Amino acid sequence: MRVPIRWLAEFLDLPTREPVELERILVSLGHEVESIEEFVPAFDGVVVGLVEEVGPHPRADRIRLCRVNDGDGTHDVVCGAWNFGPGAVIAYARVGSRLGLRTDRSITVGTRKIRGVTSHGMIASARELGLGDDHEGILVLDELAAAGPDDVGRLLDEVLGISDVVLDVSITPNRGDCMSIRGLARELGAYWRIPLKDVRPGLSTAEPRSTGFEVSIMDAEACSRFVAHQVEGVSIGPSPMWMQLRLLAIGQRPISNVVDVSNYVMWELGQPIHTFDAAKIADRHIIVRRAEVGDTLETLDGVRRELEPGDILVTDPSGPIALAGIMGGASTEVSAATAGVLVEAANWHPPSILLTSHRLGLRSEASSRFERGVDPDLPALAAARTVELIARTAGGVPRAEAVDAYPVPIRPGRVRLAPDDINRLLGAEPSFEEALVLLQRLGFGVDGDGGRAIVTVPTHRADVTRPADLAEEIARLYGFDRFPDLVRHGTHGKLTGSQMATRRLREVLVGAGLTEAQTLSFLGQADLDALRLPQDDPRRNGLRVKNPLREEEAILRTTLLPGLIAAAARNIARGIKEVRLFETGRVFRPVPDPADPRIPHQPVHLGVVMVGEKVDVFSATGLVELLSGVTGSPLSLVQESLPILHPGRGATITSDEAPIGMVGEVHPALGRVFGLEGRAVVVEMSLGRLVSGPGSWDLNEVSAYPPLVFDLAFVILESVSAGRLLEVVEASAGEHLESLELFDEFRGGSIPEGHLSLAIRVTLRAMDRTLTDAEAAPILRRIARAVERRVGGVLRGHA
Amino acid sequence: MDLQRIGRMVEEALDAIAAAPHLAALDREEAGTVGRRSPVMQARRGIGSLDPGLRKPVGRAINEALRTLTEAIDKRRAALEIEAENALLEEDRVDLTLPYGRPPRGTHHLLTTTMNEVCDIFRAIGYQVAEGPELELAWYNFDALNTPPTHPSRFESDTMYVEPPAGNEGTGPDELLLRTQTSPMQVRFMEEHPPPAYVVVPGRVFRTDTWDATHSPVFHQIEGLAVDSDITFGDLKGTLAYFAREFFGPDARTRFVPHFFPFTEPSAEMLVWFNDEWLEMLGCGMVDPNVFEAVGYDPGEVTGFAFGMGVERLAMVKHSVRDIRHFYENDLRVLRQFR
Repeated sequence: MRVPIRWLAEFLDLPTREPVELERILVSLGHEVESIEEFVPAFDGVVVGLVEEVGPHPRADRIRLCRVNDGDGTHDVVCGAWNFGPGAVIAYARVGSRLGLRTDRSITVGTRKIRGVTSHGMIASARELGLGDDHEGILVLDELAAAGPDDVGRLLDEVLGISDVVLDVSITPNRGDCMSIRGLARELGAYWRIPLKDVRPGLSTAEPRSTGFEVSIMDAEACSRFVAHQVEGVSIGPSPMWMQLRLLAIGQRPISNVVDVSNYVMWELGQPIHTFDAAKIADRHIIVRRAEVGDTLETLDGVRRELEPGDILVTDPSGPIALAGIMGGASTEVSAATAGVLVEAANWHPPSILLTSHRLGLRSEASSRFERGVDPDLPALAAARTVELIARTAGGVPRAEAVDAYPVPIRPGRVRLAPDDINRLLGAEPSFEEALVLLQRLGFGVDGDGGRAIVTVPTHRADVTRPADLAEEIARLYGFDRFPDLVRHGTHGKLTGSQMATRRLREVLVGAGLTEAQTLSFLGQADLDALRLPQDDPRRNGLRVKNPLREEEAILRTTLLPGLIAAAARNIARGIKEVRLFETGRVFRPVPDPADPRIPHQPVHLGVVMVGEKVDVFSATGLVELLSGVTGSPLSLVQESLPILHPGRGATITSDEAPIGMVGEVHPALGRVFGLEGRAVVVEMSLGRLVSGPGSWDLNEVSAYPPLVFDLAFVILESVSAGRLLEVVEASAGEHLESLELFDEFRGGSIPEGHLSLAIRVTLRAMDRTLTDAEAAPILRRIARAVERRVGGVLRGHA
Repeated sequence: MDLQRIGRMVEEALDAIAAAPHLAALDREEAGTVGRRSPVMQARRGIGSLDPGLRKPVGRAINEALRTLTEAIDKRRAALEIEAENALLEEDRVDLTLPYGRPPRGTHHLLTTTMNEVCDIFRAIGYQVAEGPELELAWYNFDALNTPPTHPSRFESDTMYVEPPAGNEGTGPDELLLRTQTSPMQVRFMEEHPPPAYVVVPGRVFRTDTWDATHSPVFHQIEGLAVDSDITFGDLKGTLAYFAREFFGPDARTRFVPHFFPFTEPSAEMLVWFNDEWLEMLGCGMVDPNVFEAVGYDPGEVTGFAFGMGVERLAMVKHSVRDIRHFYENDLRVLRQFR
């Protein structure tokens, strides 16, 4: 909402016109000022001139030679326009004045020889002055009642009152009543405690020469009120200069007197106005109804609109003539030939207007007001104001009576208010008495005193229905700054075990050289195809966004890897050699969430990608081991051939036998597709188990006795993994086992083909005594038997 | 051997010991001066053949000489051992500024750091941290938050809706959407916990916004909620002003101006004076009675305040990040600057 200060001043005797001060006050009332703009004319140095003589040009027929008085003297000016004669008061761009400022055609006016005659400056048209599109002739100021002979010699900017400051105010959705100069003036008046200088339309009306209009409202929810007022005998032409300037300052292009008046009244009072060519309405009958299937309407912009049930229409017996509250129809548009105008000031159902304007992509100044809600009390005043201004600017005579269809008059709301309603929200200050005074300043009626009050809500504040709403009104006029600053302490702030574990996990990953990434939560089908996932892979089964921004972002991610791999590839493309990224974030699965089955499951995953010369698959498995140690949940690897991964270098990560993720080297074919040089490794796992937190635990006492250490070397088939061998040894070593360490791997020599030798250091220790070699012997035999039986390994030696 | 000779010999031997250039030379010197075959030891063995009157003084002199020499040898040996070790260590020197093989420390994402920082500021005054689902029911994101079915924020031009898994097409409050704010967790939290409630909720949110320097379809918010029997507007102001001082520095000034949100009444926006301008930093207000009713709290019994802030915005203001895209492009040259 643009607010020219000159216009605001028509409604209030402003105590200040200082823009920064006005901004401060508006902001304190809840009306954010987005910018403060200077509105200045596109010319400089142009003065009011009087044409004293007009004569022919000695050597040209189409142009004339004028004598222009600018107060200082009289000058020869050549002019090509013919819409004036001697005595005309005009805009004289004298030598040295400038035109077209802030455009790419800015010029400084000088003397110019035109067909042998020197012209000293020029007589300007409205377009040359940036005051409209009119270039048919020059601007004749006295015809527009914009200046007279007394003004000759004065600067045109001052005479017309152009230069202004415009505040661009952002109005919140609940405050439709502030979408007008009058509405914001009312707010400022309440702040300053000064009365509004309201409009009081004075009508000089006539008895009807023609029959009146009938208005039928078929749906009172759709249209609570429809005021129709007729003006006869208008002549369509440009609106007066003062009105055009107001509209230009507010950012609206002047069009013609009748159209400009309806816009003017909307900006001034906040009531959108529509004007029909009265002669084009069939049977002088307006019928307001909801659209039916098959209804269409060609709107003013020339587009034929398909209407849907729910849209609100203004119709006549022949069919739709306007899309209510949004845009008029082409068939009843006011044109240059219009003589009779029917003015509509109506009140439309806000949600219907919102839905229709959104569906059709037709957002207008009118619809943005009706969406928020317009004061139902306003149409009568606004219609009267409109016909008054039409009569003043386009001639014509209004009919004495407007038709006011108002089936169920809306009565002001009432709210019971007790001191506690206010104190509970706002504290001890302001007092209830003071609060009631604040409400009165804002136009609320107050009936009651210190104990209780009935507050009457003005019809323009339909957003206020409850004590809490009144508390806001009281607080904002009282001033938010005046409330105390109290720090409110809560009850407890400790992180949960899983929150702590998640932080620790991130810290460990960062310490291990990984950098945290944030990738988007979306995938495209192409991402899933690029991963070469089998058709039945659950990661292909993602939830789809109904209204994605792009097809590449139409699926909610089922895995973090595509985003991370793409991020790694982009870094490599930028010349970075080592990339180690991780991300923790939610993925989405089309199965019910265990905690709330009404929504899909959205577990938090950890994803890792590492690429670079120093990276190999053990960088990834090592990370898994590290995390297993950090979070206290033991993780195991089950090596197998998995999608995305190198068939011989991938494993499923399990926790308590349950698969929770995967680790391995990216399949080289995929790596080539994604642009990853060399070997890239990835980890992805669900964090649910990992970060469940350590829970409660107790310290175990440690032994005071020395350990017994021996080394075992087993020959096993290569197909048996080292991890499996260690599991078997661990399971068979008995209660005194302290640790196992695999310290050597050997192939060839005396080891048979397809086998390898693995050496393991076993450390045993007892709590209550020093273990002897004699005690170790049966343990050793037990381990050897278990290895032989479970994984076919043969004890090759021990020490 | 007479006393004079002993004295001379000791002096000569001391010189030789002191001059021994390395341990091997010292060993030779030791053998020559105090070893079995050394003149001193031979002399000691010959004491018995001396005159009885000489035995005592010569014996004393020889013992004295042996002690002197042994001490000198030990001292010299200790010195030579240190020298030898030093020489070895010098050979063992390495350049400690060489890279140590393991990757250098990585960095946390600035959004994570900022969320943790904000949560910790509130934890310090007793607010717990909760997280909620990103894929939500319209009920939690809108209806329970007093946002009517026709509110513009519910249009597809603002909110991303998600096709439900086959078979249970939701409508109205049951529609599935990507939460547009962290506020739905307010509702879930209150549903699950009786009052009082003091909680902050960090998390990822989504809007149908196209990318530019300040907009992103994915971003992060931190929601806060305090509900108790006696919370007033002053508590809201003071608590958020405390937050601003903790986050932006002790001199941070705040200003509250009226605003509008469907789920708070009165509603406000907090501005923070930072780098010589007032910046809109967060939205807040007193929890609307309709929200309390939606979660089963009695609006006659409790009052509360709620607030929500954009994590990207906080981080951008504090660390001069000029383009929100820096947070999602994962350019290591950017990520490595995060601290």
